[in-house]
Amino acid sequence: MTNSNGFKRVVVTGTGVVTSLGSSVDQFWDGLKSGACGIDQIAGFDTQDLYITIAGECSDFEPRERLSSKLLLLADRYSQFAGAAAAEAIEQSGLEVPFVDSDRAASIVGSGAGGLNTLEKAYYDLFALKKKATHPLTLLRTIGSSACAHIGIEYGIKGPTFGTVSACATASHAIGLVFDMIRRGSIDLGVAGASEAVVNYGSMRAWQAMRVLSPEGCFPFSKTRNGTVLAEGAGILVMEELEYARARGAKILAEVKGFGMTSDAADMVNPDVEGPSKAMKFALDAAELIPGDINYLNAHGTATTVNDANETDAIKRVFGDAAGSLAISSTKSMHGHLLGAGGGVEAVACIKAMEDNFAPATIGYAEPDPDCDLDYVPNAGREMEINYTMSNSFAFGGLNAVLVFGRPPE
Amino acid sequence: MDDVAKNIIEILKKHMKEPRDDISLDTELTELEIESLDLAMIVFDIEDTFGIEIPYNANEEVEDFKTVGSVVDRVSALVSGGNDQTSSGAAA
Repeated sequence: MTNSNGFKRVVVTGTGVVTSLGSSVDQFWDGLKSGACGIDQIAGFDTQDLYITIAGECSDFEPRERLSSKLLLLADRYSQFAGAAAAEAIEQSGLEVPFVDSDRAASIVGSGAGGLNTLEKAYYDLFALKKKATHPLTLLRTIGSSACAHIGIEYGIKGPTFGTVSACATASHAIGLVFDMIRRGSIDLGVAGASEAVVNYGSMRAWQAMRVLSPEGCFPFSKTRNGTVLAEGAGILVMEELEYARARGAKILAEVKGFGMTSDAADMVNPDVEGPSKAMKFALDAAELIPGDINYLNAHGTATTVNDANETDAIKRVFGDAAGSLAISSTKSMHGHLLGAGGGVEAVACIKAMEDNFAPATIGYAEPDPDCDLDYVPNAGREMEINYTMSNSFAFGGLNAVLVFGRPPE
Repeated sequence: MDDVAKNIIEILKKHMKEPRDDISLDTELTELEIESLDLAMIVFDIEDTFGIEIPYNANEEVEDFKTVGSVVDRVSALVSGGNDQTSSGAAA
């Protein structure tokens, strides 16, 4: 079955996450629905002389719970997150493992930073402890393509396998690429998303030096926002061509309707209105929808002064009069900013929002900002009919990726 | 103008595309066309030069970073031992 534009239709049959709210989709969604906050004082390492000491750590993550392969248990934390999220998603999809149509399957799982924990330890060993050698797995653990390769090995995926890299848009680019490959007919199914594990001393130092982190919490769109909060985790989707999923009797969770990507080509840190607006417009066009069709928008909403005002302007530009009736929230207020993995867990939030007809809140919203004057579902989630959702991911460098989801086809 | 001030003006000039020679203590940083990422780099240079830590937050309007003189005052206070990070502007 194809769309009116001749493309095949793409559906989601599995979702998996590792987040500060819990290491399963059920725990994650329960957290989002109840307005829980996964951001806390960093416990995973000694914060020493840092003045930013909060993050969204996956403190309950236990690799052995979902991972059985020795390879993955020896991998970097970021690969373990990806492996665990993929395991949850594939289990839910009911796909036969290893995949039967292995050449027609993709593993596109990216990371903004790759195995930084491994790299930090290796450099500490070399430069501080003056050790003679690094651990033999240092290289394989560090490379940004180890997560997608591990997942490919686990499930016998022999088609397109690589990682995307676009900072905070990484997962959305990965999902968008698999969407495009399936709808053009070059593959039948794929595992897509991203993983990030950068809550460590060196990385916190680097972020602290950029002066964009909040010492207190993530308060998107509120006048009181004062920076973003780093988090770790992974978000993965299993995506299939509609008829492929139907033929095997799969339970379909949602349809991926559209994808739009642009670049500002302007500045490394200051976002532009035009790039994000066009990405949203292109995603709507690909979905063959009009702005008024979207009920819920999971915003990029990092809680930096600049992003939230700029994103608000971009939404208004695209949605026009429909912007006023759009429910918008930044779930980063609850799970923190997972950087490359953000678009992955936020895609899952969009899918659950449709399934439950529930728009999750923007928590920590204390005071309206004249520069951010839309409906951000402040502090309490909302039961409402949700047929179409949009997920925004806007990265450093001005790299924009937007996804549109719909309910399972009739 | 003391050494702290001279040093800071040199750091500011280093980060300007077209360094000016008329920078005084009253000059506002906004006049120098310094953007957020420039300011992060300037603060880093100041910290490195003086061996201090300034928890500046680019998301907040901080009085300490209004004029060259206010930066000099802040740095002078930190250099002379009042390095109380918890009471610094950015974290407030």
